Amino acid sequence: MLKFTIRRLLITFPQLILLSVLVFMLGSLMPGDALSGLIDPNIPASAIEERREELGLNDPWYIQYRDWVFAMFQGDFGTSIFHQRPVMDVIGGRLMNTVWLSLFSTVLIYLLGLPLGLVSGRYNDSLLDTTITGYTYLGFATPQFIFGLVLLWIFGYNLDLFPTGGSVAPGIEPGSIDYVLSKINHLVLPSFAIALIGLVGTVQYLRSGVIETKQKDFIVLARAKGVSESSVYNRHIFRNSILPIAAFFGYEIVALLGGSIFIEMIYSYPGMGRLFLDSISTRDFSVANVLILFYGFLAIAGALLSDIILSIIDPRIRIK
Amino acid sequence: MAKNYWPKLMFFTMLIMVLALAACGGTDETSTDEGSEDTGSEEETSEGDSGEGSGDSGDSAASGEGEIYNYEDFNVQVSNDAEPTGEGTLNVGLSSDTPFEGTLNFNLYQGNPDFEVISLFDEPLLTMDEDFQFTNEGAMEFEVNEADNSVTFTMKDGVTWHDGEPLTIQDYVYAYEVIGHPDYPGIRGSTDGFTLLEGYNEYKAGEADEISGIEVIDDQTAEFTYTELAPSLTSGGFWFYAMPEHHYEGVEIADMAEAPQTRENPLGIGPYQVDSITPGESVVMTKYEDYWRGEPQLDGIELSVVSPSSVANAMETGEIDLAINFPTDQYPDVADMEGVEWLANLEGSYTYIGFKLGEWNEEEGRVDYKPEEMKMGDKDLRRAMWHAMDNNAVGERFYNGLRWKGTTLITPYHADWHNEDIEVPQYDPEEANRILDEAGYDDTDGDGFREDPDGEPLEINFASMSGGDIAEPLANYYIQSWREVGLNVQLTNGRLIEFNTFYDMLENDDEAIDIYQGAWSVGSDVDPYGLYGPDVPFNYPRYETEESTQLMEEGNSPEAMDIETRREIYNEWQALMVEEMPVIPTLYRAEVEPVNDRVVNYGMHIEYNEETLPYQWGVSE
Repeated sequence: MLKFTIRRLLITFPQLILLSVLVFMLGSLMPGDALSGLIDPNIPASAIEERREELGLNDPWYIQYRDWVFAMFQGDFGTSIFHQRPVMDVIGGRLMNTVWLSLFSTVLIYLLGLPLGLVSGRYNDSLLDTTITGYTYLGFATPQFIFGLVLLWIFGYNLDLFPTGGSVAPGIEPGSIDYVLSKINHLVLPSFAIALIGLVGTVQYLRSGVIETKQKDFIVLARAKGVSESSVYNRHIFRNSILPIAAFFGYEIVALLGGSIFIEMIYSYPGMGRLFLDSISTRDFSVANVLILFYGFLAIAGALLSDIILSIIDPRIRIK
Repeated sequence: MAKNYWPKLMFFTMLIMVLALAACGGTDETSTDEGSEDTGSEEETSEGDSGEGSGDSGDSAASGEGEIYNYEDFNVQVSNDAEPTGEGTLNVGLSSDTPFEGTLNFNLYQGNPDFEVISLFDEPLLTMDEDFQFTNEGAMEFEVNEADNSVTFTMKDGVTWHDGEPLTIQDYVYAYEVIGHPDYPGIRGSTDGFTLLEGYNEYKAGEADEISGIEVIDDQTAEFTYTELAPSLTSGGFWFYAMPEHHYEGVEIADMAEAPQTRENPLGIGPYQVDSITPGESVVMTKYEDYWRGEPQLDGIELSVVSPSSVANAMETGEIDLAINFPTDQYPDVADMEGVEWLANLEGSYTYIGFKLGEWNEEEGRVDYKPEEMKMGDKDLRRAMWHAMDNNAVGERFYNGLRWKGTTLITPYHADWHNEDIEVPQYDPEEANRILDEAGYDDTDGDGFREDPDGEPLEINFASMSGGDIAEPLANYYIQSWREVGLNVQLTNGRLIEFNTFYDMLENDDEAIDIYQGAWSVGSDVDPYGLYGPDVPFNYPRYETEESTQLMEEGNSPEAMDIETRREIYNEWQALMVEEMPVIPTLYRAEVEPVNDRVVNYGMHIEYNEETLPYQWGVSE
């Protein structure tokens, strides 16, 4: 297991290096740079040109890449031209928000999705199952940004139950109990908006998994042995039908950590998705590059995580 | 059995869906086009206090039908004239789809959201009148001494920073020293107010330790000597803001933008002081009792960033009292909102169609105007194209009247400079046809399109930016209009072009662009040299004539310090631009802002007006 993990991590490095080279090269092919958005007739072109020279934006991409890599090994991830502060500060400010949001959403997805899928599979073709399946079809068909807006409109503005934007109420001392509660309160709507749509895949996979498994021979055998019905479902069937979901768990977390652009926009939630999009359209490559690498790392880590989880659940995978 | 309730269930779920979609019809429009970043919809330019890139989502969807509005029917100042209660909190919503950066100092910020935040706790030292001329109502006074090209600045007594330290002239000088410093991490300090200052360029180059043209006389007074007194100095040229030197003690200039002095406990001289900041999201401000103009009328201000997709709802429920940068295109859908008064004012920007009339000469650093070689070089052709466009219809059909036909290159935003008497070509396709016929543009090969006077096929490539729902129908509408007078116009590359690519192509005089649609926003100074001067790269049409250059130079010469003279010069220039048509101004714009009925003494983008200064803002009950 350990060997497997280490080997996987070692493969990661060449992948990341390749990724960073690609990103740098493609970035340099894009028209414009971080200063081209600042077009202003009061600023002489020479001043902008000077600034470009200063920032090294005129160098060919491989020189820029070399400088960037050297600086990175010294712990310097560069400075965002657009945000006027170190890249790590910019990302750090958003990262925790995104982590909390994705954590909440993930917990909700599995907390709601697993029971729904189990019930739906266990009592398939009953009224309950039809309702749940109907909901999942609806969920597949509903765009997340519409759903987010509807939730915001109903629970935020009409019923006034939850705050309508931001990650924390203004003016609360960080670290206090009130602060934590306010943070959680602000997370409820966006994380439900993500989870209620995001769980449909889980429910569907689990439902078909359960239906398929419960006709298998070993289940018939278990029943014949006299294993109780709840034990059949909770131990034998659940464990077998969870496999595809476990396989996706790592990716799911990674996708959420990437940030949900629509939800962040609608709830004015300062997370990473929006930061990523903005840094590309403003050509703020110092931020975009670090983010892409970070995402790349996450994707690899997510795949690894999925494999590890799978091998824990499914003993067959552990065989070398 | 189970199948029996399927139809019913489906019916119910569909019903819920339909209701849900109908319910959010008003707000989902902007959220569907996030993909096209809002800076993409246009190009912003600015000067001094206006800041960069106000989030302009104005190019997205206004409905094709519906009421037509005229900005002149709106107030610029709230009509609630009750006495302010002297207490209460004003909830200000800042409509923005990005968090504010948090570089909270006038001398360091970059984005418009930051500017809006800073404006609530700090203020410019100099005030401006309706003509955008500096006046002496602010915390600092100035006096021009024409005899020796100098200006004396005097701080008023009793003005203090929020930490109680008195504001001195040194704080003003310090702003110049920071902005001009070689380590300064930004691109400010290239306007006349800096570059005309004696010794500034040496200081900026790092050759001098101080700016020789600045002489501090005492704590309140300093004399600035200029190499020449240009009229732009008194209309936005002098730097507007002070910088608290004591607050930034020990901070390297290169690190100032990221220092806690800027991001966590910013300092200002305004009527409200910063109490706490939640980065990117909200700022809580409390009243600054010792504000120099008088006691503020509110206990505090709470500013929060609100998503443009839900800002209308936030107004409706009273969660926010006013919405800065409200997306104007949403207005027709929510015009009837209760408890809210809508203010409107002119926006300092215009949309235009530009013609490529030359190329940029890199070596000489100026344009190479060569109309005889360029496709669009013929004035008659350009005039016919102007006649072919119905811009009033565009304003009404696409923007509900909140944009309307533009005339000259100095917009009504500069009310005293804009000349509305200048005749410009009106929508008249027959006249367009006549001009083209006379100029020899005939359809010689019978393909339905005119050939140029030499009988060569004339294919005009039109570049237009993507962004928003209107961009595409609008571009198609113009193409259609031109085709109707027999001109073969087509989209460059067959599609709309992304913002960065668009300006990249324009700057490099890409041959695939013959004409283009762009937009400029204008600053407080009316001087158009920065856009149309012969040696500025932003002169995208690459247009230059002696007459135009001479007029623009005269307009910003010491002789033009006299406003009447300057006005005449710019009148002449406006007329000349209509005559020559290097670009055609297509649309002028207005913006709207909702304000809760309980707010008093609030005005929208009014230049100096004692009644609506932030310290007078209040709430009635």
